[in-house]
Amino acid sequence: MTLAELQTKFQAGILENDRSVLASIADSRKTDRATLFTVYYDAYRMRLAEFLSNDFPILRTSLGDEAFGRLVEDYILSAPSRQRNARWYGARLPYFMHETAPWRANRGAIDLARFERALSDAFDAADAPLSSIDALADICAEDWPRIAFEFDPSLMLLDLAGGTAQIYAALAAEEEPPAIQQGEGAFLFWRKDGHSFYRALSEDERLALMEARQGKKFSDICTLLAYQGGDENVTQRVAGFLSQWFADGLVTRLSIRE
Amino acid sequence: MAASEVGGGMRGEGRHRRLIGLEDGRVVASARLTTGQLSKEQTMDKPSPLGFGLGLRPVYYEDILERNPNVDWFEVLSENYMVPGGRPLAMLERIRADYPIVMHGVSMSIASTAPLDVEYLKALKELADRFQPEWISDHLCWTGVHGVNLHDLLPIPYTSEALNHIVERIRRVQDFLGRRIAIENVSSYVTFTESEMDEWTFIREMAVRADCWLLLDVNNVFVSSFNHSFDRASYIDAVPVDRVVQFHLAGHSEAETHKIDTHDQPICEEVWLLYEKACRRFGSISTMIERDGNFPPFDEPLAELERARSIARAASHAIDEVTA
Repeated sequence: MTLAELQTKFQAGILENDRSVLASIADSRKTDRATLFTVYYDAYRMRLAEFLSNDFPILRTSLGDEAFGRLVEDYILSAPSRQRNARWYGARLPYFMHETAPWRANRGAIDLARFERALSDAFDAADAPLSSIDALADICAEDWPRIAFEFDPSLMLLDLAGGTAQIYAALAAEEEPPAIQQGEGAFLFWRKDGHSFYRALSEDERLALMEARQGKKFSDICTLLAYQGGDENVTQRVAGFLSQWFADGLVTRLSIRE
Repeated sequence: MAASEVGGGMRGEGRHRRLIGLEDGRVVASARLTTGQLSKEQTMDKPSPLGFGLGLRPVYYEDILERNPNVDWFEVLSENYMVPGGRPLAMLERIRADYPIVMHGVSMSIASTAPLDVEYLKALKELADRFQPEWISDHLCWTGVHGVNLHDLLPIPYTSEALNHIVERIRRVQDFLGRRIAIENVSSYVTFTESEMDEWTFIREMAVRADCWLLLDVNNVFVSSFNHSFDRASYIDAVPVDRVVQFHLAGHSEAETHKIDTHDQPICEEVWLLYEKACRRFGSISTMIERDGNFPPFDEPLAELERARSIARAASHAIDEVTA
């Protein structure tokens, strides 16, 4: 048997419990080949389960060990890892839950998985030097309408089932979680000083941030918000958001658009 | 003169190794050591020993930064830092400013019959360019075929076909990275009926033909010797002295009929004994302790490191007495 054939059989033994590879394996003096091969078979499942447990600790707490174990088993069986780095093995888990029975019926669990995934992604997203709020002071008043913004690569917006963040916070504090609520809420995830953060966004801040991320200038954002809400103080409100974005460490660059 | 004493006498001076090397206690002509793909700049000079190190693990970041522990160097798991940014890379920057590092990978899959993962090698080179490790290592294993990663260090049959295949791949990787790499022996739980030679013969041939370094994992020798009932002393004695740049020490788990390399237990007495033997044979070699689970307070790996220091020191004195 060639090395390539042996490796194909060995892999099939691990993934599909195809035992034909045992013909190439010797018994040891202490035990039989099937017992020895099982070390690899079991290690594969245990290792992947460990990756998922590490990446989704609150989802595990929420579901309980038994249900989380079933989810892990379903996920492992659905497809082998094609990631060279274990860090991304669990990346598909929220999508998998969204598309697979019985998990797809559990919106709360899916959104907890998305929540934890977002915190992980923010944690090691690319670095970028932040812009200081002092940069605003350098911009003269007539240029303000034309300011455009660039944001930290870790920034992410998610619409989550109502109460997801409260459930996450309660479970993380080992407290009784509240029930999932009707409707959705927008959440912002980002990293600052090496730590992942999240906070809820009001509907108008969400809109302003989405527009700003697309490169829209300050005056366009104000116009859109005024159109949406008809508020007289829209400029002040957007300026308030902007100030918060600087305080949160979200803004990496200001520019004046023509 | 025993091989271990010759190994001990090799410490410190690299000058002679350009002309004469030692392999398995025998003097080997320089032509053999300098053939292959070595450029004029690359000689058989082993990197200088780094002393006694630990595996850099996030759980110990704060201890390392706050306590300035008596650790000479750190080994980092390359894949843990193959991320876009954030705290892992920031912490590595801080620790690298104060300590030498070595990069240790688990995904090169050097023994796989799947094509070499060029994207992985690019990322590895990029990381090495940034953090300037003393050397880069990975395992004598494969991790998957047909695009799959089984996230394990899978065993190989010790055949001429596998040897030719792996030697060629190590050479290609070394060409790509522009440096020798160190290849580590793994713990294994099965042996293949196809095997044509001992593991140690395979490793010796591989190191010489590929012109690579070796990372000798003492715990892996012990675990595999138990699982496959071979003589661990013979293994140690067969590994070429001039190729080994690093030792690994670690703990393992016990099953009834076999042992498993889990890195989640203290180093056992038999492994300490084998380490002592290795120190006598190989002389002053960069030594580090791996811990990957069931993490104890930082004082425990530090205490184990002190024990490694003391064993290496005693072995060195014993060598000096014999050679005096």
